[in-house]
Order: sequence, then C-alpha cells, then structure tokens
Amino acid sequence: MIEADLQLSKSDFKLDANFSVPGRGVTAVFGPSGCGKTTLLRVIAGLEPEATGSLSVNSEQWLDASARRPVEQRRVGVVFQNSSLFPHLTVQENLLYGRQRLRKVTKPIEINQLIASLEIEKLLLRYPGDLSGGEKQRVALGRALLAEPKLLLMDEPLSALDRSSREKLMLLLEKFLQEIDIPVFYVTHSSEEVARLADNLVLLANGAVTDHGFIQDVLGAVDGELSRSDTAFSVIEGKIATKQLPGLISVDCGAGIVLQLPDSTAISGIRYHSGSGVRLRIRARDVSLCLEQPQRSSILNILPAVIAQLSAEPYNGSRVVKLDMAGKQLLSKISEYSVQQLGLQESQPVFAQIKSAALI
Amino acid sequence: MLSQPDIAALIITLKLAGTTTLILLLLGTPLAWWLATTRSRARSSIEAVIALPLVLPPTVLGFYLLLAFSPDGPIGVTTAALGLPSIAFSFWGLVLGSAIYSLPFVVQPLQNSFAGLGRMPLEVAATLGAGPLDRFISVVLPLSKMGYLTAAVLGFAHTLGEFGVVLMIGGNIPGETQVLSIAIYDHVEALEYSQAHWLAAGLLLCSFLVLLMVYSANRKFHLMKTI
Repeated sequence: MIEADLQLSKSDFKLDANFSVPGRGVTAVFGPSGCGKTTLLRVIAGLEPEATGSLSVNSEQWLDASARRPVEQRRVGVVFQNSSLFPHLTVQENLLYGRQRLRKVTKPIEINQLIASLEIEKLLLRYPGDLSGGEKQRVALGRALLAEPKLLLMDEPLSALDRSSREKLMLLLEKFLQEIDIPVFYVTHSSEEVARLADNLVLLANGAVTDHGFIQDVLGAVDGELSRSDTAFSVIEGKIATKQLPGLISVDCGAGIVLQLPDSTAISGIRYHSGSGVRLRIRARDVSLCLEQPQRSSILNILPAVIAQLSAEPYNGSRVVKLDMAGKQLLSKISEYSVQQLGLQESQPVFAQIKSAALI
Repeated sequence: MLSQPDIAALIITLKLAGTTTLILLLLGTPLAWWLATTRSRARSSIEAVIALPLVLPPTVLGFYLLLAFSPDGPIGVTTAALGLPSIAFSFWGLVLGSAIYSLPFVVQPLQNSFAGLGRMPLEVAATLGAGPLDRFISVVLPLSKMGYLTAAVLGFAHTLGEFGVVLMIGGNIPGETQVLSIAIYDHVEALEYSQAHWLAAGLLLCSFLVLLMVYSANRKFHLMKTI
C-alpha cells in the first residue's frame, strides 16, 4: 500500500492530499492544469522540504511527524516533464549514474536487455544535446529504472513531445509499465493516457484529492468530480476480434459484447493483430440511451444494458448514468430533461448507443 | 632587457597572483554557493560587502588594511599572540590584501554560474541517490567549468594589475614585495622608459592573451550548448 496524508503551503497554493492506493501497478494522478499534480509528485519524491504529514510506501515510512527521509535515501525514480539528463555526461554515463550509487545491486537487471527494449542501444556514446525529445525521455526512464527505485514517478513524460514521438513512447510505456513490478505514479492531464495506462486513479482538484482508488471505481463514481466534468469517460478492455467487417475493427469485450470501430489504421499506421488486448476509451457524452432498440441507425454500436446508478443530482442540466453491460461498466451523460421524459430509473433495461469509441 | 630586480618582480607578481587565485577559488566556492542558493535576508548585505572593492579606491582598502596590520590593529595583535611575525610589508600581507581586493572577481562569476544551473540537475541527482557532496562534485563542478575558468582568469588578471593596495601595505621592497606594476612606476619615475616599456608591453600582451583565451573558450562553450 501507498498511504499518503500530505500538506504543503506555499504563498499562492495549498496542497492537502489524503489517499491510499495499492502498492503495485500504475496510479494515474489526474486533474486539470494547476491543480497541484506536479507539486504532489515532488512532495512524494521528497523534493519539497517544507511538506508535512505522513507518507508510507509499501510499509516504509518516508515521512511522519518525527522524521523525514531525505530524497537520496528514498530511492524514487523520477522522469520529469522536460529532459533532465545531465548534459555533461554521455547517455551511457547518464544511465549508470544512479546504479553506480546503489549500496548493493539487488536486482540483477539485464542492463543490455533494458537498453534494447528502450531502443536506445545506438545512442549510448552520444551526449543528451544530440538526442530528440523522445530519445531523451527513454534514456531518462532507463536511468531511473537502473537505480532500482522502490517507486517510479513520472511527471507528464509525454507532454513535451510532438505527436508521433508521443505515440511511439506511449506504445512503449504501455508494454513497459505493466511488466515492471514497482509501483508507478503517473501525472497527466490527458484522459487518453489515464485510460491507456492506469490501474488506479487519484483525482486532484485545487490541491485536494477528490477521489482515489481502482480506476473503474473512480471513473464510475457518478456523483464524483470527474463525472461532473466534461472529461467523464469509461474504459473497457477487450481483444481484437478474429472476424472483421469491411472497413471496421471489431473488438471483442467478452460476454457477447463486440464493439465496432472505423478502421483508422491507415492514418495512424498502427497495426493491430487479432487476439491482442486493447483498451477502449468511451466518453460519457458520446453515449446516449434508448428504451427500444433503434432500427436502421448509422450508429455502429447499440448494445443492451441495465441502468446501475443515476447521479443523485443533475449538474449543469445533465445527469450521469452508470450502465451495466453484461458486467462491463459504461457511463452515459444525458440531459436531465431526457431522464424525466424517458422516466429512467435504476435497474431499468435500456439500449446504449455509443456514438464513438477510441481505440487506445 | 629585463634586469635582475625586474625578473624578481615578475616572479613575485606571478606567485602572488597564483596564490591569491588558488585561495580565492577554494574560499569563493562555498561563499558563492551560499549566495546562489540561500534565501537568507543577509544575502544582499554580504553581496554588497563583497562588491565593495569594485568601487572603492584601492588606497582606501590599503589604508584600512595597513591599520589592521599595525601592532595595535586586530590582525597585528592576532599574529603577535600566535607568535607569528607581522604580515605588514610581507608577501603574505600582499596575499591577504589581494584576496580581499580580487574577491568579487572570483565570487561573482562562480555565483552566476551556480545560479544558472537551476535546481533541476541537483534534484535529479538526489533522486538517483547522490548525497549533497556527491551532487556538488559530480554535477555542479563539471557543469560550472566555464564559471571556474572565468573566475580564475579574472582573479589572476586583476591581481596582476594591482597597484594601490600593494603600495599601501607591501611597500616596495625589491625581491620581497615589489611587484611588476610598482616596478614599472619606479622605472618611469627614474625616467628609464625602455625598461618600463619591456614590462608594460609584456603585461599588456599577457593580459590580452589571457582574456582572448577566456572569450574564445566561452564562445566554443556557447556553440557547444546550442548544437
């Protein structure tokens, strides 16, 4: 477990973060710009000496009222937003900087294998000034991991990159972060990155944690801060189906649910193989509800579902409806007017029309 | 050509500038680091004190040092209590005077260089397990190479050209405290213009070459950074 109850006061900003998340997997710290995500990460790393409260990471006490463990003894790997490589050291020297300072190498990481999987083997003798943005971030990730961190912190590692290198690094991260067995905190303001990477979610607004827990629980909290915002979304996991319709990609989500998406691979250049696992991000505002199954509709995905929960109060004239689709959770954001007109209530069967879904 | 006392003055000058620079780099490093990182309110006052030699006439500084070196002055009393000879009119008196006189020329480039690093490299090094001293040696020093070169050259060159302070506290003892700038003055007083020329032109050329070296190194460094 990672348990935090952290406070920090600055002249123009106050952080008061109280949460606990499992001590493994990827925890996304999600919230709008300026809500204190980066500050929270810096406090966890130990880079804000004025922070108070308590922090324990997998039963190691890093901060409490009596003691504060200094940064260099916390063993946190940090990948910053911008390149943080030492300009006077080569890529190889950068990679080994932290590892050389380990008292004892406990995990015999195959260095060459790590370098190969980060695709940086050709860069070893270069200096950071000669690397592209994506290359710098891959080296920074490798450097952090080689120091055998007990917690990996990533602060919007993709935000300074252009679109194509962002996509490339994202694919690598998806594979990578699932394989390493250390907990990861991943700060982002992109719901796509949350949907693709996160197992747990910590929501932050104005310096305070508004919700935390497993991603499905936090996303599915219909009265939560996230559901009220425009970014409310659901994440559904599935596999690329073996049978495909022309011009479409079919994703088999199990329990008889198959979602169809327009085949955009020609533009994105990503190839999906049948059977490979994918995640779909579906925005709540792209899901509408019907009481009867619509016929001859242009909408590809119309699926039977049961209303699991309605948000207690309308917010900005809308309500969030949590649907149960054969055990899968799906959010829909519809107007309060429609809720009244259709007489929607909990455990009622409906048809969910998914206007669009992003294969991510 | 150079006479025997001229050569002695040259050697003393180089020894004085070298010793002073070395001492200032050693003492200036923690001082500049403190100035670059502290949030203390005392910082402005300390900075002003360090910058004083930039504006004060050297004779003012020399005058007060002379008073301090006198048998009744604080430094004179201290050396006497320690059983050491007085440092007035001695080489080490010159070193102390030069160190104070050239302090801003060493501390300011170092301070600027340290401040220019920002906190990022140090924070990264800390997360990778480097303690404070380790961070300084493995990150700050190599990244401040240009700052150290500038500080060393300015400190050296400024001590080389010192006149007023030396005259006040060192006197003009050939072979002991007579430095080049004073030897030149003596030659001119004695209307020995050709000897004065040898020394003056030599000093001019040396200073130019040293500064040229710094500026071209600086330029190369900036080019390296932009690539």
